[in-house]
Formats: sequence, structure tokens, C-alpha cells
Amino acid sequence: MSPQAALNSDVFRIYVALLVGILAVAGVLIAGLKYGLKRNVDHAVRSYRGWLMMIPAVLLCIFLDRITTIVFFTVLAVFAFKEYARATGLYSDWPMTGVVYCGISAVGIATLLRDPTYAVPGWYGIFMALPVYVVTAILLVPILRNRAKGQLQAIALAIVGFIYIGWMFGHAAFLANAKYAYGYLFYLFVAVEVNDVAAFTCGKLFGHRKLRSEISPNKTWGGSIGALGVSLALPWLLRFSFPHFGPVELVLAGLIVGIGGQLGDLSMSVIKRDVGVKDMGALIEGHGGILDRIDSLIYTAPLFFHMVRYFHDLY
Amino acid sequence: MRARCAHLVTKDSDFFALQPPMDPWLYDTAEDLDQTLIERLRRFPRKPDMLVYGARSVAALAMRASMGIYHRLQVTGRENLPREGSFVLVANHASHLDTLAILSAMPLKKLHRIFPAAAKDFFFVSVPRLAIASIVVNALPFDRKANIRQSLSLCQGLLENPGNVLLLFRERTRTTSGEMNEFKPGIGLLLAGAPWPVVPCYVDGAYRAWPKGKRFPRPYRVRLAIGPPRDYSHLKRG
Repeated sequence: MSPQAALNSDVFRIYVALLVGILAVAGVLIAGLKYGLKRNVDHAVRSYRGWLMMIPAVLLCIFLDRITTIVFFTVLAVFAFKEYARATGLYSDWPMTGVVYCGISAVGIATLLRDPTYAVPGWYGIFMALPVYVVTAILLVPILRNRAKGQLQAIALAIVGFIYIGWMFGHAAFLANAKYAYGYLFYLFVAVEVNDVAAFTCGKLFGHRKLRSEISPNKTWGGSIGALGVSLALPWLLRFSFPHFGPVELVLAGLIVGIGGQLGDLSMSVIKRDVGVKDMGALIEGHGGILDRIDSLIYTAPLFFHMVRYFHDLY
Repeated sequence: MRARCAHLVTKDSDFFALQPPMDPWLYDTAEDLDQTLIERLRRFPRKPDMLVYGARSVAALAMRASMGIYHRLQVTGRENLPREGSFVLVANHASHLDTLAILSAMPLKKLHRIFPAAAKDFFFVSVPRLAIASIVVNALPFDRKANIRQSLSLCQGLLENPGNVLLLFRERTRTTSGEMNEFKPGIGLLLAGAPWPVVPCYVDGAYRAWPKGKRFPRPYRVRLAIGPPRDYSHLKRG
């Protein structure tokens, strides 16, 4: 990945055109609704402004370099974990959060380093072994402080925070090391968001039965099955992203995004509902916090990553 | 035999069914979770935040280095700083360098407990200034136009927490001539009859190095003199 490679890559150019096109069409639609039909679209406008910030930022990082992409994702993971820690109350335990911040940085560093044995970017071995070291470090904190009361909660929250937000999300950054990095990364982002939008739209159109009434009352079986259908079709439409994929991989890629995306959404809803917050933060206009935006990506990125690695290796 | 055991079995299954669910955890969610970053920076008193503390520590080291090398900061009377409890630093105000010089002269472990009072209408409006005021300087928003009483009670609340240090300037704004401006009575309202020691400071050379209106400081020497603490607790309030 480099600016040169990005400009020469058909995959990169097509996705940029696609994203800019979607943004433009959505902008025209919203403007039409607002000024033409005089509808109240404040929520859509705020959400659109959020996208206007996020899409260029992601595009710029991927355009620039492998390193900027990985650093960007690591910073994203740090701030996503911070939101989680603030929501769950873990943030008042500084040593514990400090260890998790270090762990997330270590995930970023392992992703940046070159593998010494195979001389390829991304030290996969240490990346996979990191949870062992970080969990042992987390368990060490109460021992060093000679404390027991309430420590299981802190340990559990820290481990979930590191594994889920730091390490599993770190797989998305590791994809930047792959030979087909542009295809994988853009496919994941686009497919996860399309899946989200499809679930919402299909839910509005033919959603009656609630999917999980206790977790996320707005989701319906109709929306969910419709989104799965759209997600299963998407890899075939975006086949240029991974020309080496056979039918099995394409179906799996669709299933991972179609099912995993919604499970990721529900998983974050479980956390939010148990904690008792609506959004994890207010960083992105119209979207809530970082975690509210990347919840599906956290769940799908590692599944997609290991599917790719099983069939084709990364390089 | 079976009849005798039957009640045990049902009781057993009842036991599992009636077992109350596990007590849920209590989550101590941050109360400002739904606020944007800028809203959070603007609020006072601030919540301790690890990343902000980290950034402030790095900034403090850089500030100390630049004050030491670029302005060759000279501090006299460091021993006059009270070792324990809250106290108030009162200084003249000729330049932004006043604040930086005094902050650089304080012990590092006090870094997050020194609160320079800063003009709310200047420092807490635009985002870059807000970021510097709240992250680097740890400023207390002082409303000099309205609500002076409210700002003073904010100062008072701060000082009631032992170990906090408040930095006040005697003048309302930075001097434009290098001479001291007219003193303002607000400090008297706060400090007359108050139990906290007042440490007078004088910053010399800051006006020459960075007068109001100049974009960048010039490399002139800055001197800071810290006087012995004074006690105004015997004075009548009002």
C-alpha cells in the first residue's frame, strides 16, 4: 500500500468512485427531501454530516500507506475502548485501563512489525499470542496492588475490552498487510454498512416480528433476513475486490457479513442495555460514539480475516 | 421408598427454579458520556482523564524545556511555596508567559492540581484555545464580565479541596504597556478572611519576551520571584 499503488489500483479507484457516488446521491436525496418536499430530515442530515467526516478520513488513511491505516485503526481502537471504559465505569481504574491501552498499542505494533521468519509485513505469531500476555498482565494488576474486593468485575471488563475491542478489531488493521488489502478492507467496510442499511430498510418494509425484544426492540426478523439476502449477493457484485475467491469463499464472505454484522450489532446492544446507556459516546455527529459505528466491524473483521487466511493465506 | 424420596426430588427442582438470578453488576457510568469532546473540555470541574493527564504531562515537560532553554527561566524563592494544603498564587499579568513561567516553576507532582484562572470569554470559546486551556494549562474558567460571584465561589470550592493550587492574576487583563494595570477587587472578595495562604509572585521580563498582540515569543530571559506566603484570615469579609 502506498499512494502510488493506490492510484494504480483498479480496486481502489472503483471503491473511491463508488463511495463518492453514494455520498453524492445521498446528499442530493437528502437535499431534495429537505428543500423540495419540505420534510423534516434533521436526523438524516446529522448522520450524513457524520459520514462526510468518516469516509474521507478512512479513504485518506488507506490511500496514504499501510502504516497510516494501521495507526488509524489502532487509535480508533484506543478511543473505542475508552468509550467502553467510560460506559462501564472501568475508566476510574487507571492501572487496569492503562494495561489495556498498552495491550491495544501492542496489537498495533505487532501489526506494523515485519515477521522475522517469513519476511512479510505483520508479525502474525506475536499478534495471535498477544491475548495471553495481556490477560496475564491484567490479572497481575490486582496482585501488585494487593486488592481483592471488586477486582473480578474490573478484570472481566478489562479482558472483554481488550479481546473484543482491541484484539478482534485489530484483525481489521492486520488486513492492511494482505496482498489484496484494498479489496478486503473496502469490501468489509462497504458490506458491513450496506448490511446495516439493508437491515434497517427491510425492517421498515416488511418487519413485523421482533428479532430480540429484550436486546434491541427496533430490529425485526424481516429486516434481518432481508439484510442477509443483500449481504449474500454483495460479494458476487464486488467480485473484483478478490478475483481469486471461488464460490465457497464468496458465499462465506456473504454469510460472515450478513450474520456476523447483525450479531455484532446485537452484542454491542447487550453491553449497552446491561450498562444502561443509549449510545457509547457522542464523538461522531448523528452516529453516537465510535463503538456504535464499528460494532458490526468488530465482529466480522476477525471472522473474515480467518476465512481468508484459511483458504488463501494473506500474502 | 420412592414416595419418601418424591418430595426431595420436587423440592430439589424447585430449589433450582426458585434460585434467584445472579445479582447484576453495578456499572459506574461516566455522567458526561453523552457529551461531545468539546462540551467535556468546557465543563469545570473536570473529570480526571488518563489521556488528558498524559497529554498534559508531556506538554508540561516540553513547556519546562522551552522555558528553561528559550527563556532561561530563573526562579527565586521556591522554598516559599507551602508544602501542604491549598494555597493561592497571585501574580502580575503582562503576557501569556506569566502563566507558563509559574506553571514551569511548580513541582511536577502538583501538575494536575494547579488551576490558573483564565478569562472565560477568551480561552473557553474557540476550540484551539479551549484545548490548550483545558488540556495543557488546566485552566479554571473565570467569567470576568458577568457572574463574578459565581466564578469566585468556583475558586472557593476548588481551594476547599486540600492540595489544590489556584493561580490568580491581580489585573483583569494582560498589560499593554508593560506597566501594571489597575488592580481588581475580586481577589479581595475571595481572600479576605479566607484560611488559605497567599503566595505573591512577580514575573519579570515576560512583557518584553511576549507582549500582547505578538504572535510568537522572543527569546528574552524571564525571571520569577516567589515571595513568602501571607495570611489574610484575620481580615473581615466584605
